[in-house]
Amino acid sequence: MSLLSLCQSIQSIGFLTDIRESAMVYPVIMTTHLSCIALFGGMILMTDMRLLGFALKKYTVTEVVGGLRPWKRVGFCIMITMGLLLAGSEAEKYYHNPYFWVKMCLLLAVGVHALIFRPSVYNRTEEIDRAPALPARAKAAGALSLIIWCGVLTFGRLIGYYEGEKPQAPNAQAQVIAAPLKN
Amino acid sequence: MIQFAYDPATNPLNNNEWAFPLLECIHIAGFALSIGTIALVDLRVLGLAFRGQPSPVLAKTLAPWTLVGLAIMLITGPLIFSSDPNMYLRNISFRFKMGALLAAIIYHYTLHRWAVFREPAPAIGKVVAVFSLGLWVSVVAGGLFIAFF
Repeated sequence: MSLLSLCQSIQSIGFLTDIRESAMVYPVIMTTHLSCIALFGGMILMTDMRLLGFALKKYTVTEVVGGLRPWKRVGFCIMITMGLLLAGSEAEKYYHNPYFWVKMCLLLAVGVHALIFRPSVYNRTEEIDRAPALPARAKAAGALSLIIWCGVLTFGRLIGYYEGEKPQAPNAQAQVIAAPLKN
Repeated sequence: MIQFAYDPATNPLNNNEWAFPLLECIHIAGFALSIGTIALVDLRVLGLAFRGQPSPVLAKTLAPWTLVGLAIMLITGPLIFSSDPNMYLRNISFRFKMGALLAAIIYHYTLHRWAVFREPAPAIGKVVAVFSLGLWVSVVAGGLFIAFF
C-alpha cells in the first residue's frame, strides 16, 4: 500500500469525511487551532525570550520553564488532536502539499531540539538560575526554538496557499487550444 | 455603506504572491505575542500560572510585550485589509471581528487593567480574567471566519 492510497483511505473514514464536508466543523477546528497558537504559542515565545534574557527577568528560568510546562502539555495535546483532524480530513490534498511536509519536518526539528536541550537546559533550570549570567546553551535553546517555531507558523500558513500543479496543467492547455478558436 | 473608490489591483500587496501570506504570518505572530501575554496574566489572576508573585508584578513586566504585539497586529491588520477593503467591509465575520477587537482593546486597558493591578485582588477578578480570555478568542475566531463566511 502506497502512502498516497493510505492517505485516501484515511480521509474516507466516516467522521473525517464529515469534517471535510461540513461548513461549520472545519472552521471551528481551525479557530481552536489558531486560538491555541495565541495561547500556547505565546507561552513558547515568552519562554524563549526568558531564555534569551529579554523578558520575565523578575521570574527565574525555573519558574518560567517549570510553571508553563503543564500548560504547554495541554496545548500540545489539543494541537495534536486538531492537527490530526485537519490533516486526516484532507489527507490526500496534504500528501501533495510541499508546505505541509516542510511543516512536518520542522515539527520533527522541534522534537530533536527537545532531545538536545532537555538534558542540558530545560531539566537543569535551577543550575541556570544559579549561574551569574545566562549560559550560552540556554540562549542557543531559546534562539533555535524561536526560529523553528516561526518556521512552523509560516509553513503552516503557507499550506493554505498551495494550489497544486496538476489541476492547472489541463486548464492551461485548454486555453492554448481555445485561444485560436476565439479569433 | 462605505465604499473605497480605489482599485486593489494597484496595491503592491496584490502584485507579489509572497506579500500577503507573509503579512498574515507576522499578523499571527503579533497576536500570539499580544494575546499570549494577556492570557498569561489572566491565568495568573485565576491562580493557574506564575503563582510565585502577585498579578501586578507579572502584568507590569509583560505589558510592554503586549503593546509590541498589539502594534504588530495593528500595523499588519490594516495592510491585509488594504488588499481588498470593499470585500472586508461587506464580510460579516470581519465586522464582528472589528467590534470584538475594539471591545477587547478598550476592556484590556480599562476594566481588565483595574482588576489586575488592584490590591487586594477584587472579588470579580477571576470573572474579569475569564471574560478577557473569551473576548480575545472571539477576536481570533472572527478573523478566521472571514475566510469562510
